[in-house]
Parts: sequence; C-alpha cells; structure tokens
Amino acid sequence: MLNNGSKFFIGLTALAAVSFGVYMLLIGPSALGATALFGLIAVVGFLATMVVFTRDGDTELGDSSSVSEQPTASMWPLVGAAGAALLLVGTVTTPIVTLFGIIALLAAFVEWVVQAWSERASSDVAYNATLRKRFMNPIEFPVLAAVGLGVIIFSFSRIMLAIDKSAGAVIFIVLSTLILLAGILFAFKPALKRSLVLSICAVGALGIVAAGVGSMSSGLREDLASAAEEGHYTHRECGAEASKYFDKLPLEGVSLTSSISTVIELSGGKLVARVQGINGEQQSITIPRANPTNIVFRNLDDGEFRLVAHLGEKMVTEGVKEKVETCTQLIPQGAEQALTLTIPKPAVAGEPFSLEVAGLNGQSIEVVVP
Amino acid sequence: MFGRLKLALYGAGTAVVLAGCASNAPQDTWAPKGPNAQKIDTLQKPVFAVAGIIGVIVFAAVVYAVIKFRDRGQPIPHQTHGNPALEITLTIIPALILAVVGVFTFRTVFDLSKTDDTEMIINVTGQQWWWEYDYPVQNEYGITQPIITSGQIVFPVGTKVMLRQTSRDVIHSYWIPALNGKRDAVPGRVHLNRIEADEPGIYAGQCTEFCGLSHANMRMEAIALSKEDFAKWVANQLKPYASPMEATLAKEGETVFLNQCVRCHQVNGLKRADGTAVIAAPDENLVSGAAPNLSHLMSRNTFAGAMFDLVTPECRADVWKSDSASFGSKYLAGVSEDCLNQSDLRGWLRNAPEMKPMYANPELLASTGGKYRGMPNLGLTESDIEKLVAYLLTLK
Repeated sequence: MLNNGSKFFIGLTALAAVSFGVYMLLIGPSALGATALFGLIAVVGFLATMVVFTRDGDTELGDSSSVSEQPTASMWPLVGAAGAALLLVGTVTTPIVTLFGIIALLAAFVEWVVQAWSERASSDVAYNATLRKRFMNPIEFPVLAAVGLGVIIFSFSRIMLAIDKSAGAVIFIVLSTLILLAGILFAFKPALKRSLVLSICAVGALGIVAAGVGSMSSGLREDLASAAEEGHYTHRECGAEASKYFDKLPLEGVSLTSSISTVIELSGGKLVARVQGINGEQQSITIPRANPTNIVFRNLDDGEFRLVAHLGEKMVTEGVKEKVETCTQLIPQGAEQALTLTIPKPAVAGEPFSLEVAGLNGQSIEVVVP
Repeated sequence: MFGRLKLALYGAGTAVVLAGCASNAPQDTWAPKGPNAQKIDTLQKPVFAVAGIIGVIVFAAVVYAVIKFRDRGQPIPHQTHGNPALEITLTIIPALILAVVGVFTFRTVFDLSKTDDTEMIINVTGQQWWWEYDYPVQNEYGITQPIITSGQIVFPVGTKVMLRQTSRDVIHSYWIPALNGKRDAVPGRVHLNRIEADEPGIYAGQCTEFCGLSHANMRMEAIALSKEDFAKWVANQLKPYASPMEATLAKEGETVFLNQCVRCHQVNGLKRADGTAVIAAPDENLVSGAAPNLSHLMSRNTFAGAMFDLVTPECRADVWKSDSASFGSKYLAGVSEDCLNQSDLRGWLRNAPEMKPMYANPELLASTGGKYRGMPNLGLTESDIEKLVAYLLTLK
C-alpha cells in the first residue's frame, strides 16, 4: 500500500518529531532551534502527505488499468472551503470561530486525502469504499458521537440556564420521560423502520439544539444574570448574617483531612485551635509565610456560625487601604469546612492577624506569620 | 586487555571498600547520636546482617552453578521439577525471614511516629534550596515571641523535638542521619518528624528528594546545645534590632540593605528613615515566596542553604572538633570579624548564581512571571559589598 518514497518521508517525519521531543525535553530549548525543528516536521510531513497522495508520482507503478478512474462525489472540498471561510471570519470576530475553522480544515484535509488515496487503491469501487471505511470509521464514529452528544448537552444546558428554575425541573422530567418512552418503544418494536427511528432521533436532537440556540439568544434568566453581574459568586460576605449567595448550599464536610494543619473548634461558645502535632488546645497558631495552609473550622455549638480570618490591611491605591479577610460559609452544628490561607507577608505591630467567629465576641485565635 | 580490566575492577572495588573507612563522614548512617536514629540503627544492623548472609549464600550458589555446570558440550544436567516439599520449603523460609523482619520493622516505624510525648515544636519549611525554621511561642523554653532562622536548626539536647515539615514549592526531604530517618516535606501538607540528640554538637544533613538544579546544595545542620546554652541562644534571638552607629561603614551598609536586599530579605526590627517598619516582599520576587530571614545572621555558621560557611575553615574546625562541654560556648560566640569567611560571603554578594546553580537568569523568567528561584545577581558595586559585609557583621 505504501511505496518506498512514502515510507522514506513518513520515517523522516517521525524522526524529526522525535528529534523535536528530545531537543525540547533534554537539550536547553531555544526559540530558533524549536522553530527550525518544528519547521522540518511541517515540511517533511507535508511532503509525506503529498507523496502518499500521488503514490510516489510513479506512473509505471502497478497496472493503471486496474485503478478506478471514476472519482466519486466528495463533500470535503466544500467543508474545506467552509473551514477556510470560518478561519478568516474568526480572525476578525472571536477566536472560537477560528478554532472551528482550523478543525474543519484539518478534518477536510485528512478525509479528502484518505478518500483520494482509497479511490486509487483498485478498480473495484466497492472495495475502495470499504477500504476507506475500514480506515476512517474507527475515527469518524467516536468523533461524530462525541461532537453530537456535546452539542446536545451544551444546548440542553443553555435551555436550563435560560428558563425559570421550576419550569426547568418540569422540562427535565418531561424530556427524560420522552427519552425513556422512545427507548422502550425501540426496544419492544425492533421491526420499526430504520428511517422512522432515525427521524424520531433526529427530530428530538434538532429540537433540543434549536431550543438551545433560542435560549442562548435570550440570555441567562434574570437572577443568574444579575448575580453574575454583581459578582456574588466571587465575593465572600463574612458577616454574622447569612449571605444570599455565598451561604447558599454550604459544604458541611471535609474530605482531605490528611493535609489539614489546624482544626479550629467552636464548642460551648469557646474557640480553640488543635494544631497537628501539638498536644492540647491552643490559642495561637503559626502559619508559614507565603505558603498555602489548610485549616478546618468545626462548629459544635447550636446554631450556624462562620470562621473569619482577619489578615490586616492592604493598600488598594495610594493612601487607600482595605481590610483583608476571608471566611468559611455559615455552617450548622456538627459540620466542618476547610479554609486555605496563603499569607504573603507577616503581620505588622498593632494589626495582628486573627481567626474569629462572626458575631461571637471575646473569642479569638492569634495567627502568627513569622 | 583483560589484565587491565581486572586491575581497574580491583582498583574500583578497593576504593569502594576504603570509602567506608572515611573518618570525616558527618552523614554516616551507621553512627546514631540520638534515640530515634538509635532505633533505626538497632533495626537495620541485624537486617543488614541477615540480608548480607543470604546475599552471600545466593551469590555463592550462583557462582558454583555457573562454574560447575558451564557449557562444555555435555548433555543438559538432571532438572528438578514437581518436588512439592522442596518448593514449599524454599517458599516458607524466605516468607518466615521477611515476617520476622516485618514485625520488628513495624514496631520501629510505630515507635518513631510517636508524638504524644513531644516536648518542643519547630516548624520546618523547605523551598528551593534552603530550609527555614520557625519556633512558635513556647514559654517553657523562654521563646516568648516567634523565632525564625534558616540553614541551622538549633535545639536543646535530651529534648524530644517535633519538626512540623512542609514545603513552599516542590517536594523536599529532610534527613539528618545521626538524629532520625528521612521524611518528605510536601507542599500543602504537614509531616511530623521527631529529632532528639544525646550530646551537644553539630549534625549534618542533606535534602534527599530531588528538588531541582541545586538539590545537591540544599544542606542542613542541626545544632544541639545544652539546655543552658539553648536558653542563651533563645535570649540572643529575641534581642531587639540594633541599628549601627551613625557615620560608620555598617550604617552605610544598612542603607544599601534597605535599597537592595529588603525586596526579599527580612530583618526583624529594621526601619526605614521615616520610622516605618520594613516588611520584605519575597512573595513578589521569588517563586517560593520566601527568602531567608537575616535577623541575627551572624549567630549562624552557614549561609545560602548551608552550602557555604560563614566562618573560616579554621574557626569552623574549632567549633566542629570541640568537645561537648565547650561546644556550646564556641557556637554561641557566633561569627566575629576575624572568623568571617569574607571570600565566600563577598563572592555571594557579588554574583550569587555563579556560586550556587539557580534559575536566576533574567532572560528565562517568562515561565515564572518574572520571579526568580534563588538569589539573582544584584549587580552590586565593590563599595556596596564592602558596606554590606560591615552591616551584616552587626546582625549578631
């Protein structure tokens, strides 16, 4: 199937790729060297493709009469042209369009080359078609399935983000019931016409995609849009009162217990620290500077409480300072939640760092950062 | 040709054997100086002996078989197959040996991981390529404020010291063979490691987890002092900062330090001319986010991750070779002007990356957002270096 010239250039491409890997990993890479070796891969790779495509340009090779001269219709030039158009449009709009263009171009290139190669394999058109399928179907089917499912899932997620929460639940139930019923129908009626099954699936998928496109154009539902705009999900509100967004669905357990430096416990209105490796209760903990340190807040008192880390002040603009603080969510009795502190600078005199429970006066754990 | 090869093999073998006789081997794993290392030693010697005997027997059997049954064109010797008694015996004997070794190994591992009788806590933080030690407040030892130091860990003899180890960048491993086994320092985790020394002295160690370019230069020294001497060391570490006298070279050095070094290095108590406290910003300049705190630098004997001595070879030998009774007073004397290793300290200030391999080339910092690993070349003038050395000498 592959002639000597093709083998030579394919081997050269592989050798260039290996050289590139060795150079990048083992020898100090420089921009010049990387560009030269990558350029070599691109050039010999292109030549390898061309040589495979033209079967070494050897007109004497084989019996020309045994090769089919009748080209079949191909959609790949069209896909390639669409990819090129997307690539150009993407350069003046958004990078994602460029990405789609590149993917379409690459897909068209590979498919077209393989199709052209398979059409010249023999004079038997059916055999050539089978050859192409054997070569490309193991790649095409998983890729198409993944892309198709991805599009449907993405469209469905857009629908759920656009509609009212209650309506979302209803739609979810209805849609999943329809899918279940369709599955039962196909299972109990195996004699159903293939075209009918395909039509039902296609109509369902297209319906979801169309609804997804419509939802995207209408945007997020109002409460999500306003929350994103106001930054509710990035801003921690550390007061004693419940925060509408930050305290929604608080985490009540910690799984990574092996990397906990200190457990801060609220019990009987008293705040104490249990430091790993130190026996007994502490009122002061030491945290290495500029190093992520995990602490756990455990609430053993009746009621919902949050742990607040007061970490001094930072300069926002010239002469303007703002308090640096972070906190856990409000957690109920018996729950625990982790808080990771990375403190780049030590406390200055007069502004010691501390851990406190919001709304609980007189209880504080000193945080020493040497 | 075979004669030369034989000679080379004999030579290499002799060198390996003689290496075991080195007297200056501060990281000898067979010389425990504390109860934790002693437990490991008590386990490893019999295990080594058993493994050695088995190794010799196996090796001898292989050599015997190779010579006795070497191919001389004879028919294949009788093969032993399907002998259950022999096969079971050859399985049970190693299993029993391993089981016995396993019992003693587990007992030692559990002994070494005991923490409930800890007497002192020191936080140990590794980063490329030095170790930081901070001592939380422990009033029973006179540590009324946190102490922070690097390169040399100082602790009292006969005290069960708990090291709470972590790392700021990559995985390191803390190992002082004379005091205990090795324990990894892992970012985001705190690993516990106990050390205890029987006698005052210096115990050398080495990072044992490959951690980058200068891994081999990431050393540590544990200084065990008598309880009285340790109290003196603590008292010295807690002394407030004293600015050099006006119109001295050291005072000019303080200005150079304020202009150049405080970008990364903290000296507790150092203030600017306007009276504001200096807070170094290594988090803005270094990948690890930390640089050694230089408060009381001259109370240490090493610098640059314990790679270089702060004292001359003669003065260092005087401390290292002193007996346990006089060791404390000699160590606590710190670094005097006469004993200062001017050559290495000046070389370090002149061009640190030239003395210790570090990723400090400004042209290669794109991947780290402009942050260095280790100390860069600051381009100091000889005059600046002169002033800085005079200033650093005041940090007693």
